[in-house]
Amino acid sequence: MKKLCIIFRQAPHGTAHGREGLDLSLLSASFEQEVSLIFTDEGLLTLLQDQDPESVGAKDYIATLGALPLYDIETVLVCQDSMLELGLQQTDFRIDVEQRSAEEISSHLANADEVIVF
Amino acid sequence: MSKFIIQVNSAAYGCASSYSAYRFAKAAIENGHSIEKVFFYQDGVLNTNHLNSPASDEFDLKQAWIDLHQRHGVALVNCVSAALRRGVLSESDAKENQYSHWNMQPPFIMGGLGELVIGIETADRLVSF
Repeated sequence: MKKLCIIFRQAPHGTAHGREGLDLSLLSASFEQEVSLIFTDEGLLTLLQDQDPESVGAKDYIATLGALPLYDIETVLVCQDSMLELGLQQTDFRIDVEQRSAEEISSHLANADEVIVF
Repeated sequence: MSKFIIQVNSAAYGCASSYSAYRFAKAAIENGHSIEKVFFYQDGVLNTNHLNSPASDEFDLKQAWIDLHQRHGVALVNCVSAALRRGVLSESDAKENQYSHWNMQPPFIMGGLGELVIGIETADRLVSF
């Protein structure tokens, strides 16, 4: 088992990065890896409530975020600096996340075996 | 000496990172390391389109991957779902979907994301491009 940290940096529907990052997250967890997720930069927009991706021709993959606990993905961190930059509050998010400072995120990354950025 | 798995996320043409991935893989092998496999994900699956046809005076990255496989036995694995979404099909995918054509052939093979995860677990280090 390895500690995989998957970072989401891009907005959810303009590219396939978020969807394919989430696919890899769930698959890795189902292969018994210890998976943690970090949302930073515009990746935070993935977490917003009340989105309607199908209206822009995108698959509603973000509904799958609700399944993270079922896959034993319990560590979901968001970057506090990015929250400030984007004017977002915890109540804007559709799932429970933990806010972390840049320093805390750095130390989390230092503790991971592999970091994969989407 | 280390065992690497390489993840390629960008197309063969139009972005330098796939070429960087190839250069990294080649240099690692030449320096005595081993490459467990190259896993093509996201737009990286476009590296394996057999119809990639660069002009004769341009670098042929698809052929370079094939040479890497033939010389050093490096497995070249596509994420099948990422590939199908982007129109990269093996012969069996084409038949399954009732298409008369396909554009991926050996030594490239299709696999699932599990191949990447198993590769990550058994290699010393994943390097993504």
